[in-house]
This record gives sequence, C-alpha cells and structure tokens, in this order.
Amino acid sequence: MRHQSGWIQRLLQAGSGQGGMLSGLLMAAGLLSLPALAFGADVSPAAATEYRDIPYIGSRNLVWIVAQLHLLLAGFVLGVPIFAWLCEVVAWKTGEKRYDKLAKEFTKLLTSAYATTALFGGILLFLLISFYPKLMNYLTDIFFPSFIVYCLLFLVETATLYLYWYGWDAMQDGGKKTFHIFLGFLLNFFAFFIMIVPNSWATFQASPVVLAEGSDIARAWAATWNPTWWPVNIHRLIANVVLGGYICGAYAGIRYLSARSTEERDHYDWMGYVGNFIGVFGLLPLPFAGYWLMREIYQYNQQMGITLMGGFLSWLFILQAMLIGVLFLGSNYYFWLGITYRIPGSELKYRKPMLSMLIILLLCLGVWMTPHSLVASLEEARKMGGTHHPLLGVFGVMSAKMTVANLMILVTFMSFIMYWRAGKQETATWAKVARSIMGGVLVLAGIAVIILGVWGYFVPAIIRINYFSTSQVLIVLFVMLTITPLTALLLKSAKTTTDMVWGKMPPRAGYALVLNAIMVILLMTLMGYARSSSRVHWHVYGVLRDSSQYAFSPALGYAAAFMALNTFCFCMIVAFIFWVATMSDKAKASHG
Amino acid sequence: MSEVVILQLIGLTVIGCGTLILLFVRAQFARVIGFVAIVLGLFTLVALSVPQMASLPPVEEKFDIATVKTPTDMATIGQKIFFSKGQCALCHTIGPSESARCPDLKGIGAKLSREFIFESLTQPQAYIYLDYRHEGVPKEYPARMPYINKNPIGLSKNEILSVIAFLQQMSGEPISVNVSELEAPGQAPAAPVKAAQSDPVAVAQAH
Repeated sequence: MRHQSGWIQRLLQAGSGQGGMLSGLLMAAGLLSLPALAFGADVSPAAATEYRDIPYIGSRNLVWIVAQLHLLLAGFVLGVPIFAWLCEVVAWKTGEKRYDKLAKEFTKLLTSAYATTALFGGILLFLLISFYPKLMNYLTDIFFPSFIVYCLLFLVETATLYLYWYGWDAMQDGGKKTFHIFLGFLLNFFAFFIMIVPNSWATFQASPVVLAEGSDIARAWAATWNPTWWPVNIHRLIANVVLGGYICGAYAGIRYLSARSTEERDHYDWMGYVGNFIGVFGLLPLPFAGYWLMREIYQYNQQMGITLMGGFLSWLFILQAMLIGVLFLGSNYYFWLGITYRIPGSELKYRKPMLSMLIILLLCLGVWMTPHSLVASLEEARKMGGTHHPLLGVFGVMSAKMTVANLMILVTFMSFIMYWRAGKQETATWAKVARSIMGGVLVLAGIAVIILGVWGYFVPAIIRINYFSTSQVLIVLFVMLTITPLTALLLKSAKTTTDMVWGKMPPRAGYALVLNAIMVILLMTLMGYARSSSRVHWHVYGVLRDSSQYAFSPALGYAAAFMALNTFCFCMIVAFIFWVATMSDKAKASHG
Repeated sequence: MSEVVILQLIGLTVIGCGTLILLFVRAQFARVIGFVAIVLGLFTLVALSVPQMASLPPVEEKFDIATVKTPTDMATIGQKIFFSKGQCALCHTIGPSESARCPDLKGIGAKLSREFIFESLTQPQAYIYLDYRHEGVPKEYPARMPYINKNPIGLSKNEILSVIAFLQQMSGEPISVNVSELEAPGQAPAAPVKAAQSDPVAVAQAH
C-alpha cells in the first residue's frame, strides 16, 4: 500500500500543473481504482496464502488418507508387474503353462489398477496444491525438471503396458514370446523409474541437501541425490515385491475359501503357494534394506534418528516388531500347513522341527517386542530403579533386537528350505556331505549371530553399528546364498517320493494368507507415518517450517486408527479392482 | 470422554462387528471382511495401549529483553528452552539415568566454563578425536551433538546464553552470564557458524 500511495501523490502533483479539469479526472479515476489496487495488493507475493483448510475432517487428515491410498496403490501397481513378469519368465523357461496363466491373470488387473492409482495421484496433487501452496511452490521451484521426466515416464509406461497386456495372446510363440518377455522387462524398468522420481521429492523433504546456484537441472539433480534417496528406493522396491506377492496370496486365499469346484481349489491353493513364496522371498532381505535406511538417517542427522528410535516414535517400533513378528509367524505357519496337508506323510517327520522353529520364533518375537523403557507407575519405576527393567531391560536395546531379527530370518529361510525338500529323496552321491555342510553352515551362522549380539553389549555403539550388525547381516546373507544353490543342485537329481497334493489345505490357510497381506499393508502405513513424523514440525527438515495448525504429529493411537482405516479402504479398492477385472471371466464361465 | 477412550470404543465395536459376521454370516467374502475388521480393531487397541505421545512443535519463546532484569530471569527462560525448543532433554538427563544416550548434565555448569559450553553447543565437532583406523588423511568422527545454533533446532545467541545460565544455576554455581550480553533484535547474528558451514541442512535455503 505504501507503493500505491506514492503513485497517487505523483498523480496529484502532475495534475496540479496541467489544470483543474485534468487533475479532477485523474483524481476521480484514481479514487475509483483504489479498491482494485487494494485487491491487487492483497494478492501480491508477500501476502500469498500459505495454507488452506477444510472443515470437519481437516486438510492434513484428508491428505493423509489420499496420499496413503495413492502410495499403497502405487506399491500394488509397481509390485504386481514384477510378480507377473517373474511368473511369465518361469513359465517361459520351464514350459509350465499355469505360471503363464497366473501372470496373465494378474496383468489383467493392471489396466484398471493403473487408472485407479492415477486417479488418486491426481486427487492428491490437487489437494496438495490447494492446501499447501507455499510448500508446493517451493518443491516445484526445485524439482520442475523431474516433474517433466515423471510425465514422460508415465507416457512410455502406459504405452508399454498396453502392448504387454493386449499383445499377450498374440505374442505367445517363438521370437514373439521373447519380445513379450522383453516388454515385461521394459514395463518394470520404467516402473522402477516412476517409483524413484517421486521418491526423490519425498526423501528431499526428510534429508535436504545444499542447493548451490546453477541450472534448473543441476539443482534438481542435487536435490534428487539426497542421502536417503537410494536407501528408500531399494527398500520400496523390495517392499513392493513383498506387497505384490502377499496380495496375490490374499486374493488366492479368498478365492480358495469360496471355491466350489476341485479345479478351482487346486488352482487357488497353488496360487496361494506362489504368492506366499514370492512374499517371503522379498521379506527375507527387507529388514536389511530397512537397516541401511535407518543407518543413513542416523548418519545424515542424529537428531532425526533419535526422534525415530528413541524419541516420541520409539513405541512405534514396538508396534512394527509386533506386525513383522506376526508376518513371520503367518508366513511360516502357511509353510508348515503346506508341509502337513500338501505332502502326505511329512507331518510326522517335520513335526518336531516345526515345533522348535515355532518356539524360537516366539522367543525372538518376545525379545523384539521388549521396549527400551517400560510403561510403569511411579511406584513400579521406583522398585525397578527406573523405567529400565533389571532383567527384561537387557532385551530392549538394539543389540538384542538385531540378533533376534536375524534369527527370525534364518528360521523362516529354513522353513522355506524344509518345504522345498519335503517329499523328495536326494539321490546324488554327495547328498550326505551337502546336508552336513548345510547343517553346519546353519548352526555356525546361528551361533555367530548370537555371539556378535552378546558381544555388542560390551563395545561402543559405533563399533556395534558399523561392524557387528553389518557382520550379522552378511552372515545371514551368506547362509542364504550358500544353502539355496546347494539345495537346488541337490534337488535337481532328487526322486519325488510324495507328489504334492493341491486343494487339501484347511480354511485357516486362506485366512493366514489374508492376515499376511493385512500385516504388510499395516506395516506400510505405519512406516509412512514414521517417515513423515520424523520430520517433526518441518515440511522440509530444517529448511521449510510447517507453520500451519497441523504442525504436530498425532499420538500413535490416533495415527493407528487412521492406518486401520486406510488399510481397510485399500483392501476394499483392491477387492473392487479384482472383482471388475474378473467379471468377464465369470460371465464366460457361466455361459459355458 | 477422552479421545483415547472414544477410539478404544470404536476399536471394540469394529472387533464386535467382525466377530458377529464370523459367527452368523456364511458368505465367504463377508467373513473375510469380518476377519480383517477384527485384525484392524486389535491393531488399533494395541496401539492405543502404548504411551500416547504427540509431538508438538516447540513453543516460540518470545525473548523480550525488556522483561529480563536479572541472570535468574535468564536461567528461568533457559530452563524452558532446555526442555522444549532446545530439545536438550531428548538425549541428556540432569542426574543419572540408565536410559540416557548422552552425558548427564548434573553439575555441568561447575565443571565447564561458560565459554566451553558455548563452544560445545555451537561447534560440537571442535574437540572430537580423529579416526586414524584407515590409510590416508584421518577422518573426523561425526559429533553426536548437533549444532544448536543451526536448524532444525536453531537457538539464537540470547537463547543459548539463557541455557548456559540455567546449567550454571542448577549446578549451584553463580551465573556468569550477564543480562547486558543479550542482543536486541536486529543486532549481529546469533553465534559463530564457521564450523557449521558444511552442515547441509544449514545451507539449504527456503525460497
């Protein structure tokens, strides 16, 4: 307004020199224009709107729901192509047509799933622009070039998906099939970049870096290459495979429960097995990727690491332990049910190992879920000499948790190997030696993991984090990379003593598959809340402060209610997509 | 009725509905929905049973120099900053504690000079040992202590002096920080930042 009054004064001075008529006209025009100028001043950049809100639900909650659903759907549409492509490759290599059918069945979902994901993405974008204009301006200023790349990636991804899906039947033989496999690879290749581009925006918010002056592309590239970008990329990539596998398993579980014919029961029992297998395949390395991400966060900013692991979010990791523990138990339980019901005669042989594994898993889960500081009344705390329990407190620290996490991975891996070997008789001359080596490797690895875990209590944290924990991870990876090929070689010449019987699993197997999928989805929502809350009251950590009325992170209980709501909504959306995609098949089947 | 109680009731209702569906409905899809409802309800109840801590943004302490008359006034403000905006209590305790991640600050005002405390807060890397366990130039171990004068904590010089006054007071020492040292708004920047220039968070600027 200061600028405006100066302009009016100049006009008056000019008018006084040119005669009364002109000055009167100018004054009248000036007075008439005042409201317009005042309006103009209101919308000047200095007074730009920073936030908008909506009544009842609130802008933050609405964005929370839409963003979470978009992210879950994105995980689904990026995970399913990996899953479908792997199945197609297996079919191509082994000649087993049912894998090709499974791959096609899931690719069919993609067209409608893509549209739904894009729809939620569009809604999220409009909401963000409307509710957080200042933040969006800031991010657009930095990431404008990558927005363009993102749009281009969507174009090529969509074109590839159309070719992949609509060309399925036309590209079944010879070189055409090879080309179709290549299209599937391209689909996943572009999908990977579609994932990592927006990851850069979100990770920049958590771990911003120096943005020197330079071209738009140079600044965008510097912001993209922030410390948590690659850890998040790898973690999400593996998590998407897990999500794709377990959702396939849950779908198979539901269809198995409602199957009416033997063929349907056989098919969906087998599909559940494949889904669970791929889910577990991704689940085993996932904690390592999570560990890497957490390490990068600590290295980037200890304050943020402490907020996550020891601050107000510390109890969140107890919930995470519970969910992961149930997921491990559910996956193992499904393997054990498979051994019991699909391979007749194996039940007695494997009952004792299964019981031992169950006890180890429950003990490990108990340790993992032990909090660092207990919830205690003042009197209880006085008796204990603090909130740190004299006995259980030993289990509440990272050294114990890393140890049990690795042991749980080892047990789950052994469940998988046990299932793989059940019903087969090894005929190779070196089978006995191989079995001894595998047993020795496993036992030694278990002992080494425990020794490193106990030793970890007596060394400085930096030594434990940099050397001991890393060694534990490498030992477990070594076990997997040794035993898997050895078992594959051993079973190549093995004689099948008992054929697998499909369609005999009890109904609880179907519910176990559904439970696993729910655990994965809840974990994704929980860790989304953790990642967002670790920024505390910053839109961009340490750079752009959240000055809205929602600049706080809600307590876990309130957040959990939202996570449950989002999980339920996502399940309903996925169920709808499955229903729409299979509608025509059902109609065809009923007509003959 | 508190928010937690309302959410617990909702969780119980959801579990009840799920149980009823499993007991009385035969359609498989509906039964799966009932099962999912029970799982989600249980998850919410477990989450509601752990300590409920919200993370509130730090209160912007209005540092009105006119109201600060004595070093004791500074120490009072410093105490508030210690437990809020400064986030000191996130890692440090005053008195021994098994769960403390960083040094116990009881009596720290008597052990260290105010200049050393100021430097520890604003140049935490200054006296960290170098890591020689590799070939070539020794590397710096990362300091566990963050730069208190830089974002995300970003205390002003006046606030840091107040925290020092608090640390000296609670150590039973005479407060050596003087009210005349406080800077009026618009004076020189808060603290020397030479050592903090490599801090990425500090350098990135909001546009």
